[in-house]
This record gives sequence, structure tokens and C-alpha cells, in this order.
Amino acid sequence: MPISAIRARPYVKLRSYLRDAAVFAPCYLLLDWVSYIYPLGPFNITPWNPQPALAIVWMLFGGWIHAPVVFATILVADIVVRNVPLAVSVLTALLLTVGYAAIAEALRRGLRPKPGLHTLRQLTLFIAVVIPGTALVAAGFVGALYAFGALEEIFAGWLRFWVGDAVGVLVTAPLLLVVADAEGRASFAALARRWDTYLQLALLAATLWLIFAGLGGDPSHHFYLVFLPLIWTAIRHGLGGAIVAVAVVQMGVVLGIHHHPVQGLPITELQALVAALTLTALYLGVMTDERQRANEGLKQSLRLATAGEMAGAIAHEVNQPLTALTNYARSGQMLIAAGRTADLAAVIERMQAEAQRASEVVRRLRDFFREGRTRLERVTLAELLESVRKQAKTDVLTIESEQGLPDVLVDRLQIELVLRNLVNNAAEALDGAAGKGVIALSAQRHDAQHVRIVVADNGPGVPAANRERVFEPFVSGKPTGMGLGLAVSRAIAEAHGGTLEAMPGPHGEFRLVLPAGAANG
Amino acid sequence: MADKRSLVVYVVDDDASIRDSLALMLGLAGYTTRLFADAESMLAAFQPDWAGCVVADLRLPGLSGIELQARLRERGSAIPFVIITAHGDVPAARAAFRAQAVDFIEKPFEDTQLREAIDTAFALETDRLGAAELRRADEAKLARLTPREREVLEHAVNGLHAKEIGAALGISPRTVEVHKMRIMEKLEVRNIAELVRLRFR
Repeated sequence: MPISAIRARPYVKLRSYLRDAAVFAPCYLLLDWVSYIYPLGPFNITPWNPQPALAIVWMLFGGWIHAPVVFATILVADIVVRNVPLAVSVLTALLLTVGYAAIAEALRRGLRPKPGLHTLRQLTLFIAVVIPGTALVAAGFVGALYAFGALEEIFAGWLRFWVGDAVGVLVTAPLLLVVADAEGRASFAALARRWDTYLQLALLAATLWLIFAGLGGDPSHHFYLVFLPLIWTAIRHGLGGAIVAVAVVQMGVVLGIHHHPVQGLPITELQALVAALTLTALYLGVMTDERQRANEGLKQSLRLATAGEMAGAIAHEVNQPLTALTNYARSGQMLIAAGRTADLAAVIERMQAEAQRASEVVRRLRDFFREGRTRLERVTLAELLESVRKQAKTDVLTIESEQGLPDVLVDRLQIELVLRNLVNNAAEALDGAAGKGVIALSAQRHDAQHVRIVVADNGPGVPAANRERVFEPFVSGKPTGMGLGLAVSRAIAEAHGGTLEAMPGPHGEFRLVLPAGAANG
Repeated sequence: MADKRSLVVYVVDDDASIRDSLALMLGLAGYTTRLFADAESMLAAFQPDWAGCVVADLRLPGLSGIELQARLRERGSAIPFVIITAHGDVPAARAAFRAQAVDFIEKPFEDTQLREAIDTAFALETDRLGAAELRRADEAKLARLTPREREVLEHAVNGLHAKEIGAALGISPRTVEVHKMRIMEKLEVRNIAELVRLRFR
């Protein structure tokens, strides 16, 4: 798009300026011609005016420098589409151009830094500018016609012009804003690839048909039905879906009025309903998008929390080779000081092995940070439990694994992290409880394809009401807890094709079920 | 007298590389080391006359480093402990402190840090062994006394005069004086004050 080039330099080259005008003018004329329905007199006072949206968005991106083109195009439209007297046309085209340029400027300032409707604030500002702005433009336009003596019904004219412009801008400008943005175009493309989009559009079309033809009578009586598919689309697909759905409704209403004309139909009122519908859908869409973004943020922080816990576990793993490495290095220095350089080769060889061991752990950490990748290895359950017991911060832990259990294919560090988490939780639960605490970590066969690791304690357990909630992020039973431990643990279990559950009962019991690696490990 | 050569560093760590590198480094620095992969194998091999210092990892398969220390104390050994760990968490440090370990060192550590801890432990051990030796010598001297001399000694260290001791034992004060002379000769002390110190050492 040449738009960014124009923004960068106010004094654009004439050629690119004219090229842009050659794109803008035909589009504007086409929209004007298509939407020139049910006019009041010979003037462009119609209940649906999408073309101002084009002028506003054009000047929003390109700046006031495009105002002369807009003025000329409006003038040509009046002559070509409507055959309005020239003197009146010049004045009204000037008024409209100034009005649209002012709206564009207000939006440009308000929607900074990036024009678009990404947040509730941006959407509210857009509406707060467009609705009064179009009311003022309508007042100027209708007032001018009245001054010329060309128009009698000043209030009806103003209302129809205002509603027509406001609906046109509210429906069309968001569409243009999305199309002008690469990210927005990608979201439309994504929308086109989802099967349910078509289902929703079909449902919208069917509802519109029902309202205008199927049910008969005044379509505005049944108009509320459109809200249902519209709300569904907005909630399912966010702003992108809402914008498309609203455009479909607008087209449907125009076609409906055209093909099923009803005597004395209050078209302006119908368009006011479309405006209300548009506001609802846009707000729902933006809110859905914002919630989606908040969810993404949460997922991100979950991953960071997992990464943080992983880092702690890995720090331990890295400390061992690092310690050995330090010792060997110091030994090497002492050998040199003693003149025993012949013995150095063996020491350096061992240093290499330790460095290798450390870098292996670091690589795993890097992999995890990069894509949350798990590194599967075959582990015997007895080893796994023993390793957890060794690292546990409690001395009341007993371990037991059934004979003849198959090995599991897991990321050892991650599963150890889960079990350590569960054991630490159990230990903390016992802290407050009376009597001697006991924590039992045991492994059993779950079914033919799964093994089960149970962490049980004789503390009070998780209250029934909280059994699922404890796995939600930020729900913590601990005053200092972030509440991420169990959420992360369950995510890890599920990433391994397993499950993690809190079991009912008078005492604490968590069950981690993992797929068995192979029948005979 | 005990020194670096007669004292041994007993390394208990389940990580083979840590054991190997510690043995090499400490060996080059002039320490004698013995290595164990876990607490149980050290307990099985332990002899009461072992002296030096135990460098144990906090977390071991089976008994922990701190539990190993408790078991050795139960068996009457006062051998000092240096606890090392790759976890470095506060509860572990607190447990090591309560168990009166000489030091609590986080992996990875500087060799000087470990050697300082070992040397502190060795100094404690030397004092302990020195005191034990002195006590053994005192026991030998006391064994030379006759039963009568021992009676006189008991009264004398309780602060009785010759006259009172004579009355208590039914002998003359003069005889008591002779016994006291003999006792001081046998125990190689010059006055009553030294006699009292030796008796209660």
C-alpha cells in the first residue's frame, strides 16, 4: 500500500498522489451509487451511506492532503449519481469534506499510536467521535440545503442523513481499518479458513431471510432475532468476526428492503437498529479479543513459571558437573605447580567430560525455553521415586514401587518437578496438622498401558469443593503461593499424555498417571 | 601428634565425578581421602579410631548427610562434619547448623572454601585427640597409686587437711603427709592445685 509512503512525506510526488486518487475516486463513486437508495428529494440523504467511511479512513491514513480529492469526488458523485444543482453541490461537498477531514483528524489523534480498534478504549473513542461527528456533518449538510430553500423537512432530513452516515461509518470503517492492517488481513484470512465461520454466516443469512420474507410483516418487529447469530459470531471470532457479521447484516438489510418492499417501512428506524446491533457486536468482539489476549498472557506467564521451576531443577543438575569441573581445574593448577605436567592429560580429559555433562543440561534448558520441548528418556519408576526422595525437603517421606513395573518414557526433570511439587505441597499441608505426619510416594500399575504414581499424606487433604479449583492458576492454599505449581504440574502431566488428579478422601492424595514406555523396559 | 597425614577426609557423595575430583584435588593438596558413594557404606566400614573429617553431601540415596552424622554421634564418634549441597536451601542450612556441622558449603565451591572448612575441622579434631591422649596418660599415672594412696588423694582433692584426713582414715597426720608426697611423686605434680586439675581432667 502506498499509504505509509504518503504519511512519511507530506509533499508527495504528484504521480503517486494521482494514483491514490485513481483508486479512491472510483471506489467512492461505486459505494455512493450502490447505496443511493430511498433518497430524500434529489439529495444524498439516504438511510445507508458507507462512502463517508472510505473518505474518513482514507484521510485518517493519508492525512488532510487528500481533502481536495475527496471534495472533487463528492462533487462528481453528486453530478453523476444525483444530478444536483452545481452551486448547492459545491457548498455541500465542501461542508462534507471539511466534516470528514475533521472526523479523520480526531480519530487519528485518538487512535494513536496505531489506528485500529484493538482495545475497548479505542472502540469507545471511535464511537464517541463518529456518532456526534456525523450528527454535526448532517446538521451542516441539511442546514445548507434548507438555507438554499431546497429542503422542507429539516428534522426528518437531518435524522435520516445522520443515521445513514453514522451506520455507514460504524459498519464500514472498522472493515476498512482491518483491511488496511496486515495483521487484520491475516485475521480475516484465518476467519476464512474456519468452517464455523460459514455456518455462522449461513445462519445470519437465514435469519435475515426469515425477518424480511419468511415471517412476513414489518421486518423491524423480528429484527431482534439477528442478535443471536451475531453475538455467537462476535464471541467466537472476536472483532474480525463481528465486523464481517455486521457487514453481512447491513447488506442483508439493504437487499431485504429492496426485494421485499413493505409499504410505509420505517427504514431509518431499521438502520438505527442496525447501528445498535453494530455497537453491540463491536463491543463484544473487542472484549472477546481482549479476553483472548489476557488468556495468552496467562499462558505465557504459566510457561515462564514452569521455566522458572525448571531453571531451579536444572541449576541443581548443572551445579554437580560445575563443582567437579572446578575441582579438576584446581587440581590441574596444583599439578602444574608441582611440575607434574604429564598427569595433566588425564585431568583435562575428565574436565571435558564434565563440561559435556553441563552443556547437555544447559541445552535442555534452552530447548525448553525455546519451545517448551520435552526431552523423553526411558526411566525406571524406582529410580524416579528415589531421585525425588533424595531431593525432598522433608524427612517423613517413604517410597515404594511395585515389582515388575514397566519403565516410563518421560522428561525426567519435568516429572521430577511435578512429584517434588506434590511432595512439598504434602509436607506443607502436614506442617499445620496435628500428630506425626507421613507422606508416601508409591508407584503401581494403573492399567495395561499406564502406571500410576501416588503421593499420599495423612494430612487433611483437599476439600471436595476445591478438588478441581486447585489446578487453576493463581488459586493457592498457601499465603505466599503464586498458585501456579499444580497448574504447571497438570500441564506437564498432560504434555506427557497423562493425567494429574486430586483424589477424594479424608487425607491428601494426588494421582499422576503416565503412559508406560513399553511392555518390557 | 595428629596432623594432616594421620587425619583422613572421608568423602561421602553419590556423584562419581564429585568424589573423583575431590579425591584428586585434596590428594594433591596433601590430604588423605577415603571415598563412599552413600552413608550406609561409610557406616558399615566405620571404625571408632577413625579421625579427621567427613565431607558429606546433604542429599544422598538412603540416609542424608545429616542423618549420617547423627548415626555416628550415636555410636560415640565426635568426628567433625562438613556438609556440601547443590540445593543450598534455607531449611537444609538450618538443619546442618542445628546438627553443629563445621560448615555448610554450596556447590559449586572454591577449593579454598572447602580447605578452610576441612582445616577448621582438623584443628578441632587435633584438640580433641590431644585431650584424649592427655587423659589416657593421667589414667596410667593414677593406676600406679596404692589403694591407701587413692583414699588419701580423694580426701586431699576434696580440700581436707592432713589432720582431718588422718582422723578420717585412722592414721597419723604425719603418715598422711608421707602418702601425699608419694602421690605427688607418682603423679608428677608439684602442688595440690596441679593434683586437683589432674584428678578432674
